[in-house]
Amino acid sequence: MDALGLARLQFATTTSFHFLFVLLTLGLVTAVALMQTRATLSADPVHARMTRFWGRLYVVNYALGIATGIVMEFQFGLNWSGLSTYAGDVFGAPLAMETLVAFFLESTFLGLWIFGWDRLNKWVHLALIWLVALTAYASAFWIMMANAFLQHPAGHELRDGVLRMVDFSAMLANPTFGTAFLHVCFAALTAGGVFLTGVSAYHFIRRTAEVDFFRRSLRLGVVLTALATPLLVGFGFGQFPIVERYQPDKMDTVGALDGTGLGFMIQIGFVLLLVSWVTVPLLFRDWVVRMRFPLYLMVIGIPLPFVAAIGGWLFREVGRQPWLVQGLLTTQDAMSHVGQDQVLVSFVAFTAVFALLAVADWVLIARLARRGPVSSDEAPVSPLVPAL
Amino acid sequence: MQGVQIALLAFLTCGYFALAGFDYGVGVLLRLIGRDERSRREVLRAVTPFFLGNEVWLVAAVGVLFGAFPRLEGELLSSQHTVFTVLLAGLVCFTVAVQLRSPAWDFLLVGGALVVAAGWGVLLGRVLGGPSVLWGAGLVVLFSLHGAVFLAWRLSGGLRERATRTAVALVLPAAAFVVAAVLTAGSAPAPAFGMTAVAALALLGGVWWALRGGRHRVAFGCSAVLCALPVVGVFGARSVVTVSVMADESTLRVLTWAAVVVVPLVLVFQWATWWMSRAAR
Repeated sequence: MDALGLARLQFATTTSFHFLFVLLTLGLVTAVALMQTRATLSADPVHARMTRFWGRLYVVNYALGIATGIVMEFQFGLNWSGLSTYAGDVFGAPLAMETLVAFFLESTFLGLWIFGWDRLNKWVHLALIWLVALTAYASAFWIMMANAFLQHPAGHELRDGVLRMVDFSAMLANPTFGTAFLHVCFAALTAGGVFLTGVSAYHFIRRTAEVDFFRRSLRLGVVLTALATPLLVGFGFGQFPIVERYQPDKMDTVGALDGTGLGFMIQIGFVLLLVSWVTVPLLFRDWVVRMRFPLYLMVIGIPLPFVAAIGGWLFREVGRQPWLVQGLLTTQDAMSHVGQDQVLVSFVAFTAVFALLAVADWVLIARLARRGPVSSDEAPVSPLVPAL
Repeated sequence: MQGVQIALLAFLTCGYFALAGFDYGVGVLLRLIGRDERSRREVLRAVTPFFLGNEVWLVAAVGVLFGAFPRLEGELLSSQHTVFTVLLAGLVCFTVAVQLRSPAWDFLLVGGALVVAAGWGVLLGRVLGGPSVLWGAGLVVLFSLHGAVFLAWRLSGGLRERATRTAVALVLPAAAFVVAAVLTAGSAPAPAFGMTAVAALALLGGVWWALRGGRHRVAFGCSAVLCALPVVGVFGARSVVTVSVMADESTLRVLTWAAVVVVPLVLVFQWATWWMSRAAR
């Protein structure tokens, strides 16, 4: 494979891994913020324990995901310096906004939330988790805005051989931005809901003694999924007219890879929509738990939203080729002047560390999730995480 | 507007070196200062409240580099492709190893910290045109000194003593690096580079004097500025940050507004983190 192919493969691999972390982070932080709100309002300690248990899973995922985010940011300059040289003025602006307005603040708020546990006033502490959630969605907002520029460039003009930004509001109003952003938000909520449901179901399969704890978690998960999926599917299909209008080639040149991705995504979306709504009435008197077999399906279903998200992302990105910035800059021209060996080294290095991160993340989350909400913590897994 | 963005980039980069510098320093010294598992845990606990907050200064700096200095970003990163690849791989390993702390992962933690510290040194050396090996080793020494000073401030008892001894022992090698960096700086860098070196030596003296008198905060302040100085010195001497690599006024205006709102907020909340962990001691 030549340098271009390797660089593309590297970007696809690392972004896919990164996306897995992001989805769970966004989905879980919303659930945790909801739990903590109830914990702050109610006297029942179960809500505080739920916040702690699910919050810990969230923090593990965030803390490892941040490492993938840092690498993502550097990759643009490393392998795609043509993009920053030619379109950096415009494409770089939302990316810089993401790091400043969202990422920078988010991590600061989160650090304070983690170590402010039991030390800060409970209302201040609650405000912090909502600020973390808000800045997390702001991250998605700016990233999708940057991506929308690649799909359908708007708000720029060509001057002295490079693109200059002329209208920031036109970038905001980009038709390939809003619907796609909402689609991603509801995909994350769905991923969070399915994750909550699946982990809770696992504990019911093992006949947990924490019935109240996991009943509430399961209900939140099912309701979150049932509320998110109709909008998820709606904003998904809402993008077809936009794609047909602005990127007609995307639908015509659909290949094996992006076609499969699209197909999987649509099927999984419908399955989750249907199943979550069938499950809602079964929450009455814990029928769904007593029937038992749905519990197994819930556990098996945990990876589905993630598979769908990767499929959707492949369709959005592969379908744009050979353009990096639609109609303006080809992927080939955007490639840095680096040798094949250098790209090979970075491809192997980043794929290896990202795979390591993902496996570490899943193993640790699975271990913590299986252990359940134990109050005493005799075997801390990290100096950061036990602070919760 | 251009001046604001240059100041912002310098501020974020210096903030990253001054803050994350002690993370890496503590990582390098982990097995040296923490002789057994219990004390190693104590060493890491001193760092973890600040860990997330320190790391994001890098993210913010690179974000501003991309948005406001797009042509410098592409040029700098792609021309130093391998250095950045190795550095980032080290950074990921270090982050994971700190988060998933387990004695079996310590080689990743110490190794990752070493690679990141040396990586930044090599990068600065290359931009300046000085010898890479010297700069790589130099930044490891500077960050280790900073980490040791931080631990001397935040720990107590035997660990504090050991951290203080390590820090004092690192002052001379650090001074040797500063002198060697000036001597090998090559083709006539701006006189500002020499001034930076004089300031660095003065700060090293400050660290030594403050540690002797048990003034840990002063020592920490001195070593923090010391870690940020090489960035200022190198980029100042080579004047790579010019208007021609910068984005257009319209882009800079948007970014400046964002920075005006966000940077004070981050400062307030990061200060709150420091204040809170002080109150908890």
